[in-house]
Amino acid sequence: MTGSLVQVSAGWVPAAAVLLLAVAAVGAVLDGMLAARAEGQPAALGAATPVLETARLLRQRRRWTVAADRPLQMVGTAGLVVVALLMVVVVPFGRWTLSDLPVGVVWFNALDVAVWALVWLAGWGPNSAHALIGGYRFLAQALAYELPLMFAITAPAVAAGSLAVGDVVAAQEGLWFVVWMPVAFLVFCGAVLAFSLRGPFSAPSGVDLAGGVLVDSSGIDRWLLLVGRWALMAAGSAFAVAIFLGGGHGPVLPSWLWSLVKTTALLFVLARVRRSLPTVRPDRLMPFAWVVVLPAVLLQLLVVAVVVVGRG
Amino acid sequence: MGLRQRLSATAVRRAAVLVVEVPGWGRTRCAVEQEVRRRGWRSASSPADADVLVVCGRAGTRLTAAVDLVWAQLPGPRARVEVLDPAAVPATLDRALATLSDDDGQRADAGARPPDPAMGIGADEDPTADRDVEPARAGNEDDQGTDDMDMDDMDMDMDDMDMPMPAGIPLAGGGEDRDGLEMDVLHVPLGPVLPGWPAGLVLHCTVQGDVVQEARAEVLPPAPDSDHDGDLVRGSPADRCDRAARILLLAGPADVATATARLRDELLGSDEPADHRPALDRLARRVRRSRTLRWSLPGEVHARLLALLEAVAGGPDGAAEPVALLPLDRLPALVTGQELGAVRLLVAAADLSPATLLRDGAART
Repeated sequence: MTGSLVQVSAGWVPAAAVLLLAVAAVGAVLDGMLAARAEGQPAALGAATPVLETARLLRQRRRWTVAADRPLQMVGTAGLVVVALLMVVVVPFGRWTLSDLPVGVVWFNALDVAVWALVWLAGWGPNSAHALIGGYRFLAQALAYELPLMFAITAPAVAAGSLAVGDVVAAQEGLWFVVWMPVAFLVFCGAVLAFSLRGPFSAPSGVDLAGGVLVDSSGIDRWLLLVGRWALMAAGSAFAVAIFLGGGHGPVLPSWLWSLVKTTALLFVLARVRRSLPTVRPDRLMPFAWVVVLPAVLLQLLVVAVVVVGRG
Repeated sequence: MGLRQRLSATAVRRAAVLVVEVPGWGRTRCAVEQEVRRRGWRSASSPADADVLVVCGRAGTRLTAAVDLVWAQLPGPRARVEVLDPAAVPATLDRALATLSDDDGQRADAGARPPDPAMGIGADEDPTADRDVEPARAGNEDDQGTDDMDMDDMDMDMDDMDMPMPAGIPLAGGGEDRDGLEMDVLHVPLGPVLPGWPAGLVLHCTVQGDVVQEARAEVLPPAPDSDHDGDLVRGSPADRCDRAARILLLAGPADVATATARLRDELLGSDEPADHRPALDRLARRVRRSRTLRWSLPGEVHARLLALLEAVAGGPDGAAEPVALLPLDRLPALVTGQELGAVRLLVAAADLSPATLLRDGAART
């Protein structure tokens, strides 16, 4: 489908940014509805949560801590949204894409590694023990999820014989990759929750650290961090749709609508998962990731490679 | 209505409330949490996250000093209220809302605040040396140590003075951690203002990385003339629910924690506790069946959580059963060598009753 994938001009970049933030907002609305239901309020009331929280944070003053490392803190705070925006550069929206890089899969991977630095800086900057420990926790968590994530996104690339996201989408015509690489898909979904600091991988911003890397941020800084998290989750879902869930492939509806519907549905599932699972403690995650998840995803990759070779 | 007013009106519809419980005012704290939920507001996790500071009870000197420091860390617009009685909670929160919505008042408050963040005071000054310390000094018993690097005694040794001191704070000293690696040593007070934390408890911790190497526990008392006995009845179904909700809040399944806290409120407000038996059964079953919860919680915390919920489900209408309380001097041994997240869970699962400890004169180690 590379042939049928249209690269749109750079003029569409703002529209893509708005679209990503809109999808992120839909995720936050769905999450607010789930939260309201848990609290015994009508779900419709919870739909307004992102709007109310935004208004609250826009009205709130910015607050610094003693001897904060302001430049680094601001890099960490503002960086998450930027990374999410850069991620969607290679994610096709139906037939359109901003850039079908020949190394699109690697591009996504490189950006998710940038999240390491950004979250660490957000934790380091405020000069506060709880935020710092949140940063430590994120690095430990990143060591646990990064290799499984890399091998998980390698599987579709091997199957498609290309690192271009357009080729990966095209290779799924008729059969989505999720069907024969379910392990890679699940691992990737877990990694999306992990790099957007969402439960069960929310230890870096956990309640037990009074908010961890978020503990001292307020006003617009906090808003940027929260939006960054939702945007990362939305970008991760959109990428998962492209490489595992067949991208824009689907009957009846136009392909752009399929992209949108699948992304939103995955985002909703991830939001549900995060609300109902306990937080995995960092010291539990590492052995699990290296002893169970990594071999499992390598085995998945082996199966995919054998199938590809067998098909000739 | 102008844009500014509309923003203010929207901004206060979901106020974030930081609740401080003074030992002896547990029922009032539950009433605040319930009212917060009823209004569609939410609990704040830290001072920077909060609009409203609600103090349940009359705090003593040192607790007041800690609360003052927390108050200085609220970004603003902000409101601070004290509530002494569960019945007064709705009116008190109305008052907080009015303060929060008052744009002119908030602007005046912001103008009157010092531009620099509030500075804590070094923990090397022993806070237990003198009970009648001047309020500012007790500042190191601060909240969750939000800017606590500055409050840390940075392991002063001989050549401090040659080190750079950003904002007058000495750099952290090093020490060998449990793996024999050199790591910074920080002194971080946990409490008395933290989500899911026993009232008034302060755990003075020496931390390397995220591991607690040493700890000392104490409970900050209420004002001397107010020996208030307004806690949940110890061992009662509502009390057990409250303790389980606290563990679940820290453990992370947000929806289950909320469900448990709601059941606690229903048990408190209900004449027929037996009506809630099916819901309690469902909750206990849900927690028992959760493999992820079993896997992610330390063994003793998981066992404790199950025991609490099963005791409630077994007899929601039952009388309070006696509970063996954990003496405060056992707490440091319990948490030493543990990662901070585990420390929080272990403290939440420990059977502490700060008000009883104070009454028995055993509020320090």
